[in-house]
Amino acid sequence: MTTSVRAYARAMKRLSVDAPVIKQLPTFIAFTAALFLSLGFRSALVTNLFSLTLATVVMLGATVLAAHYSRLSRPSRWFLLVPGISMLAIALLRYATGGTTSLFASLIILPVVWISAQPGRRWVGVAVLGASAALLLPYLIDLRWPDTPSEWLRGVFTPVVYGLAAVVVNELSRQGRRQVRAVRRLALEGEKLLAESLKVAGQLQENEVQLRAADRLTRSVLDGVTEQSVIGSDLTGLIDVWNPGAREMLGLTSREVQGRRYVSEFHLPEELDERSRELNYPPGATVLNPGFSALVESARLGRAEVRDWTYVRHDGARLTVSVAVTPRVDDNGETIGYIFVGTDVTHALEVARLKDEFVGLISHELRTPLSSILGYLELMRDDDESPLSVEQLQYLGVAERNAHRLLRLVGDLLFTAQVSSGKFPLTISQVMLGETISAAVLSATPGAVAAGVELITELPADELMVRGDAVRLGQACDNLISNAIKFTPRGGRVTVSLEHRGGEAVVVIRDTGIGIPESELDQLYARFFRASTATRNAVPGVGLGLTITKAIVTAHGGELDVESEEGVGTAFIMALPLPQVAVAS
Amino acid sequence: MSATTAGATWRVVIAEDDPDIRALVSIAVKRAGLDLVAEAVDGGAAFEAVARLHPDLAVLDVSMPTMTGLEVCRAVRADPTLDTVRLILLSAGVDDHAKALGLAAGADEYYIKPFSPKALAARLTDLMEDSK
Repeated sequence: MTTSVRAYARAMKRLSVDAPVIKQLPTFIAFTAALFLSLGFRSALVTNLFSLTLATVVMLGATVLAAHYSRLSRPSRWFLLVPGISMLAIALLRYATGGTTSLFASLIILPVVWISAQPGRRWVGVAVLGASAALLLPYLIDLRWPDTPSEWLRGVFTPVVYGLAAVVVNELSRQGRRQVRAVRRLALEGEKLLAESLKVAGQLQENEVQLRAADRLTRSVLDGVTEQSVIGSDLTGLIDVWNPGAREMLGLTSREVQGRRYVSEFHLPEELDERSRELNYPPGATVLNPGFSALVESARLGRAEVRDWTYVRHDGARLTVSVAVTPRVDDNGETIGYIFVGTDVTHALEVARLKDEFVGLISHELRTPLSSILGYLELMRDDDESPLSVEQLQYLGVAERNAHRLLRLVGDLLFTAQVSSGKFPLTISQVMLGETISAAVLSATPGAVAAGVELITELPADELMVRGDAVRLGQACDNLISNAIKFTPRGGRVTVSLEHRGGEAVVVIRDTGIGIPESELDQLYARFFRASTATRNAVPGVGLGLTITKAIVTAHGGELDVESEEGVGTAFIMALPLPQVAVAS
Repeated sequence: MSATTAGATWRVVIAEDDPDIRALVSIAVKRAGLDLVAEAVDGGAAFEAVARLHPDLAVLDVSMPTMTGLEVCRAVRADPTLDTVRLILLSAGVDDHAKALGLAAGADEYYIKPFSPKALAARLTDLMEDSK
């Protein structure tokens, strides 16, 4: 469609160029016809053969000039020489065929029309003057004035008549040009409008393609989530998004659900009621659909919420699902619905339960034989009837020590399992930290003496009290002190200090031991991690002590930090928050 | 009870499924000078013995077949004719929660394994002396 319009516009443009050779064509044909006629009746018509030849040459020249101007890419005003020269040729023809009596004087009308059709009235004058000059040429050549009135008439009046005709032609062609210009303007405007609408259409098409691509992306993301249910609803809970994960989890297709079911239909009413009560919704009619409101309460307030809910499948089966609820907003930020992303944690919960069960069982099964071993070893040691020799008592001590070590290990394992499953019981009371540290140092002293390590305690004059589990805090101190002794070579020193720093009680256990490589400091609290310096120096241990210590300190709202330099020593800094009102002296 | 007021020693039932530990407990009971009247290997037998013999004391393992030590405690406490029976639980469970459960089930004392036979014997002697 556009090409045809453009071709039309191009044609309109070419019309205004008006190839001079085309305009010359009628004059040329008429002249040629007159020439043949003259030659055919030479005796009757031709009075001057030289003039006829000259006329022919001039006419050919004019036509060649016309052809030349037609070939120019930019039109030139000088092409008007063509009708001028043609007038001269016609004048010569007229002179050659009887002068004032020539049959061919009327040919002059053709160049007159051409010239007077030019825009501008002045060209009428030019045409009339040219025609007059041409018709009066015989008198100019013969250098005489016309004799008779009829000659005057033919030489002067005829050009005036032609001039009148030229005025009419000029006016007509002016109007014609105006119309052409109008048509061309309209065509250009039309073309511009068309181009613009085409551009808009193109943009629309592009937008549509982008929209479709975005839609496809959203759809494939939703479809790609097969292990989680993604459910979308409006403000009332009516479902409008239902991904394959939801189909898998709840047993219904999107066709069966979208626009037909409500989110709350897949929940246990009791759970929703309970949550409504927790949120203190007034009973009954004041809250529309309290169950659903309870479900989206946090999202409604603009917060994302993750909570375990029971989903009821289509077939009645129940699943524990961790559901994240987020609001959907429109362009203005108004909430227009909610998105529920659910992860089935039924299996994970079962695994966690089995793990707890397993750890409990293992712990029990290990402690029972250890109870026998330790109990009977004690009976042997306390047998008054047949006392053991010193050597036997020494062997018994080794067995007892190792049985206790095994027992501690079982306890630590159980404890780390409790920590990792989040079941970490603390018996909270007021704990006198100085006393706890003294007790830990006291119990570590025999080991320090045996290892040849000096054990120094630096306690403040005032007792520092924290809220916490005395047994667990003692365990943390025990672990850190026994570690320090374990990793300090004979002749070294372990300093245990306590001080009140800011709002915290800070316990520092500093040794002059083998140190920990800097690259390993961040792995220190991982279960079963052992520093390379520990394994290289064959220091015994399994890598649970620091895991447990860190868990204990964290559970008390405190922080455990470490500073260490290989070959120089290590300091563990345990900072525990003090109650707001300091208990001192 | 006539058994204690007469200055006679306590009559004791013990229940433990692990034979070695059962033997250890019985040694402790004997060393404390108490009268071991029955040894049960599971919870059901333990309750049956307690109900039949009306002992002064029952030392029960927590984790036993047929009835756990906790269930035995509850059953004994549910029977008004057995309200003078003292109950001691021995458990391989370590956390405070387990201890609280045991006391809630009606046990008078709760000990965590491994236990020192000497310490248990001393505790039993003390208990008996205190009750006189």
